[in-house]
Amino acid sequence: MDKGTDRVRVWDPIVRIFHWTLVLAFFTAYIAEDHFPDVHAFAGYTVFSLVLFRILWGIWGPQHARFSDFIYHPRVVLKYLTDLIRFQARRYMGHGPAGGTMVIALLVSLLLTTISGLAVYGSQEYSGPLVSLTAGIGAEGADLLEEVHEFFAGFTLLLVGIHVMGVILSSVVHRENLVKAMLTGYKIKEKGVQHAPPVKRRDKEQECGESIPA
Amino acid sequence: MKTTVWIGILSGGMLLLTAQFALSRDKEDSMTWNRLARGEAAPGVASVTNKLYEQECGACHFAYQPGLLPAQSWKKTLNNLSDHFGETVELEKGDLAALTEYLTKDSADLSGNKFAISGKIIRSLGDKEIPVRITEVPYIVRQHHELSARHIGKNPDVKSLSNCNACHTHAERGSFREGEVVIPKFDRWED
Amino acid sequence: MRLDKVTVIVIALLFTPLGGMAQAKPADDLLAKYREQGARNVSAKEGETLWGRRFKDPESGEERACSTCHNNDLHATGRHAKTGKPIDPMASSANPKRLTDSKFIEKWFSRNCRWTLGRECTPGEKSSFLLFIQSQ
Repeated sequence: MDKGTDRVRVWDPIVRIFHWTLVLAFFTAYIAEDHFPDVHAFAGYTVFSLVLFRILWGIWGPQHARFSDFIYHPRVVLKYLTDLIRFQARRYMGHGPAGGTMVIALLVSLLLTTISGLAVYGSQEYSGPLVSLTAGIGAEGADLLEEVHEFFAGFTLLLVGIHVMGVILSSVVHRENLVKAMLTGYKIKEKGVQHAPPVKRRDKEQECGESIPA
Repeated sequence: MKTTVWIGILSGGMLLLTAQFALSRDKEDSMTWNRLARGEAAPGVASVTNKLYEQECGACHFAYQPGLLPAQSWKKTLNNLSDHFGETVELEKGDLAALTEYLTKDSADLSGNKFAISGKIIRSLGDKEIPVRITEVPYIVRQHHELSARHIGKNPDVKSLSNCNACHTHAERGSFREGEVVIPKFDRWED
Repeated sequence: MRLDKVTVIVIALLFTPLGGMAQAKPADDLLAKYREQGARNVSAKEGETLWGRRFKDPESGEERACSTCHNNDLHATGRHAKTGKPIDPMASSANPKRLTDSKFIEKWFSRNCRWTLGRECTPGEKSSFLLFIQSQ
């Protein structure tokens, strides 16, 4: 809701709560590991539920939460990235091409991590929703599932690292605080925008003064 | 004002989650909060509550909690005491019946929904043949699969995998958590 | 709670040496019983000798003695030969629960003699063992 200042609300409360809860849950799971298996499982279930929810929210949520808002053609993504490094990328109100790609990548990686985690839970602890599928898998199968789970957990962490760097880079290039934006939900309407040459289709004109319904 | 509301909602949510987690761990334990205050995790199996079992069976070996095996296993063992894993055991007349009753009523298949380890033991057995040895239960086998003879069989302070309390420092309490394992001559277990 | 004189006197007597004898020691009861069963020439020394004597188990070929689990030193904590489970010391001075329950004593005589010697102990052997344990 436009507060009559230069601010415009981009991130709805739900997407913000989702984001930060996910951060907490993911790192809890990552740190607890198998030192605190109950905590790890609980956090893992939380991550899984959050991801599923975000998918639904991405289909039916408000504008900037929707996948349709930030899925771009790979060529657009590539161009954005090359522009970004040259400090020439244009600014997007919601997730830009890179941000949008990262959202998808993270959701996929988290989904693979949590599902493989459930498989490990079933094959090693004989618990969880996948017990009947995985219980008879044998020692080597269980070890393999564990490797898969560890791989995707690590891969997700790698994505998180790139995500954080990307957020910082974008913030610097567009001279705004994107972390704060994900906390308050607000972005400044018009900032020092570097105008890149116009890009082809699937490119949303969202820079100026759009009021986002609450 | 708005910030306070959000902080309130989030804190409330966190408290609810924590409470739910803590309380869901062991529905039978009314002393959950005391236990948590002492920093103890929920026991994986129900404690041994039968004096006769502790005295007669626990005299020679660790008093294995009944929740570590299904009722069938206990019955098999008690019906075969003349060859009790290589030893002969004789009991007084009434004791055999009393022990059978105790062990079967607190067995894993009847306490699986209240105690995590019991449930995992039963689910890991599936349709497989019921073993008499705890150390042959698939779940138990899997949990110890990273150990080798030097930790167990060739370790004079452990000798056998059936010697639970040699390494599981809180086994008497029914807790077998990895964090509590100290293998004699090897210190705390680290993956 | 008011006690009548008789009860008071009886209670007081129980705390005297006379009273001590009235609470008969289980080990002494058993010694008397074994004497009736024919035990002769028993002594603590004989018990000590028997304690450390090795007997061969015909099935496994391994050598077994009382001291295998209970130690030669009765003040030390013993260990079950197979499971490693600690066994409280045998000496009453180290473990006040020893020799307080005749049923317990007889039960373990039966089990352990059969495991160690391959047979039940004779009344004489049991008496010597009791005297040995009592002396520690």
